[in-house]
Amino acid sequence: MPFAQALWESLARDSRLVTPVILLWLAGTLMLWPLGSLLLKRMPKDRWAFFTVAILLLSGWFVINTPNAIGFADMFRVDGVTKGFQILCIAAGILTVALGRQQLGALKEHSVEYYSLIIFSISGMLLLVGATDLVSIYFAVELMALCVYILVGYLRTQERAVEASIKYFLLGAFSSGILLFGISLIFAATGGTTTNLERLGQAIALAPGNQDLLVFSGVLMVLIGFAFKVAAVPFHMWSPDAYEGAPTPVTAFMSMAPKAAALAAFIRIFGTGFNGVAENWIAPLSFIAAASMILGNIAAFKQQSIKRMLAYSSIGHVGYMLLGVLAMDSQAGAQAVWFYMMTYLFMQAGAFAIVIYLQGANEGERIEDFKGLAKRRPLLAFAMMVFMLSLAGIPPLLGFFSKFYLFRLAIIEGYITLTVIALLTSAAAAYYYLNVVAQMYFKEPGEAAPPPVCICTKAIVALCSAVLLVGTAFGPWIMDWVGKIVWG
Amino acid sequence: MFTEIIEILDRFLSFFEQSLAFLGHHLFLIFGLLAIVASVTMVFAKNAVHSVLAFLATMICTAACYFTLQAEFLAVAQLLVYAGGIVVLFLFVVMLVELSRFKENRLFQRQTPLAMFVVLLGVVGFLTMFRRLIFAPSASEALTLSPELAEGLDVAGQNAQAISRGMFTGYLLPFETMSVILLIALIGAVVLAKQERV
Repeated sequence: MPFAQALWESLARDSRLVTPVILLWLAGTLMLWPLGSLLLKRMPKDRWAFFTVAILLLSGWFVINTPNAIGFADMFRVDGVTKGFQILCIAAGILTVALGRQQLGALKEHSVEYYSLIIFSISGMLLLVGATDLVSIYFAVELMALCVYILVGYLRTQERAVEASIKYFLLGAFSSGILLFGISLIFAATGGTTTNLERLGQAIALAPGNQDLLVFSGVLMVLIGFAFKVAAVPFHMWSPDAYEGAPTPVTAFMSMAPKAAALAAFIRIFGTGFNGVAENWIAPLSFIAAASMILGNIAAFKQQSIKRMLAYSSIGHVGYMLLGVLAMDSQAGAQAVWFYMMTYLFMQAGAFAIVIYLQGANEGERIEDFKGLAKRRPLLAFAMMVFMLSLAGIPPLLGFFSKFYLFRLAIIEGYITLTVIALLTSAAAAYYYLNVVAQMYFKEPGEAAPPPVCICTKAIVALCSAVLLVGTAFGPWIMDWVGKIVWG
Repeated sequence: MFTEIIEILDRFLSFFEQSLAFLGHHLFLIFGLLAIVASVTMVFAKNAVHSVLAFLATMICTAACYFTLQAEFLAVAQLLVYAGGIVVLFLFVVMLVELSRFKENRLFQRQTPLAMFVVLLGVVGFLTMFRRLIFAPSASEALTLSPELAEGLDVAGQNAQAISRGMFTGYLLPFETMSVILLIALIGAVVLAKQERV
């Protein structure tokens, strides 16, 4: 059978590209059955955290050793950008598992399903960052997002978790519909032959003149779909509620991993696929970026809850990162966004570790609860200060360098107005970040004795602040190393 | 007398034939319009059972659309899965759950004017788009499918074969991803509905 033989050969050739994904799928499925429900039923549930971390580390090792190639009928491509963002997603997953272990244990909400959902979600992200076809991009987005919808509603006895989950699910499904509609319009406008990004780029250029409007609406709808996924203004409505209602480790996960993956796909779609019709999306995307920077940072001012504040600030950060998408040079854009996302990941993970510590101490998640932390836990307070200053982009911390490279790229590409807006808003953002620092250092603590710090929190805070502080020393050179990773 | 009756009958028959031919050529449009009407009915129906029945009609009309496009496999799958399975499940749920409580609850009333405006804007936008697409000078050329795809439609007799080939060659990766997505839906239902966790 020549057909079957050819099929088998191409499968054997292409499956090398997705070994980490296959590993995650196998592990996630086996965890549910028979390991979790039959063989290792007696094992304490929090041990699964170590298992998950081990699996994620193994898949990270596979990612590094994957050959650079294109496969699956040009639907999946492994190159430096793919590998770089895949490693970011895996790192975010490991940090999430470490963040959640103690809190879930305290709530008695450990289950195998939680970890397997994280694993499946990361497998979707790994597929998304390498996808080079609108069809594979769509399915990878769905796989990634569906797991996160469920994780948001994981604490299903809490009313706000259920509300956040339903809100996120409905808006997410709606945005997926818009994304799919946009894809079908583009597919029709280019003659209905291909959804591959590179061929689509050529086909769009050759499309007859009266298809302009069809291409325009299609590109705009894809843009809207992805703006929903990265929570950019004006499609950010779900994000503060979902962030607040989700379990805090999941909030951290949502602010790191899906954003990294969606931004990578964003760069790939608009950098390679829709490069030829840039005049269709430059203006709307510039508007989205500027609105995200302004509204995200302004709305963060008056938030009482630190989770909501971090949600709005992450909207602002997405606005900055969209500058990298706007830079038509997709390699340089990917490089700058990768570096920004990498530092953002460590800052967010560290900040959320401390928020989770305070929650475990029976204090809420309000910014006031940080008061006097410097007297009670000087080291934690110092680390939190590092994270906040770095998020604000104050030199010489690593957050400053990541902003610097991104803004420099934007200036080189000629987005002067946007860069000015970005600079102004990041200066304004320093206010609410420094507010947290002021609460910690200049307010008197409450009476209650500080609870012990769990080993996971210690490890994460130490790791993240070490990365930020050591990275600071190498700031000027770090971009060259990033270049080596992303250029593959 | 007799010949006159024959003539009238003949004329009537030819008119009938013509209109049948007209309908036959525009079956896709007719079923598409019916599907839209049914889906609008579904959204606006006051009674939940009527809503589900309208949903059923939408699904059947969509399947008919697939038939007119010569995608028989897709049409049968649509009928079996949606019209046969899912809608019946919906009916069960609607009949089991007491919905009268929600009747008087007029949600989102404040946003109605804004929503109307947005919908109007969308309608105008799409009408503009369709006008430009259909009445533009080179419309007939641009709206025909590409030769490769037209060839694919010629072999519509082997519809199921074409789909299965696509699934296992060009679209293998999305197909496998979809199987995992279905697994996730299953896990999600268990996670959100299971009673105790430890």
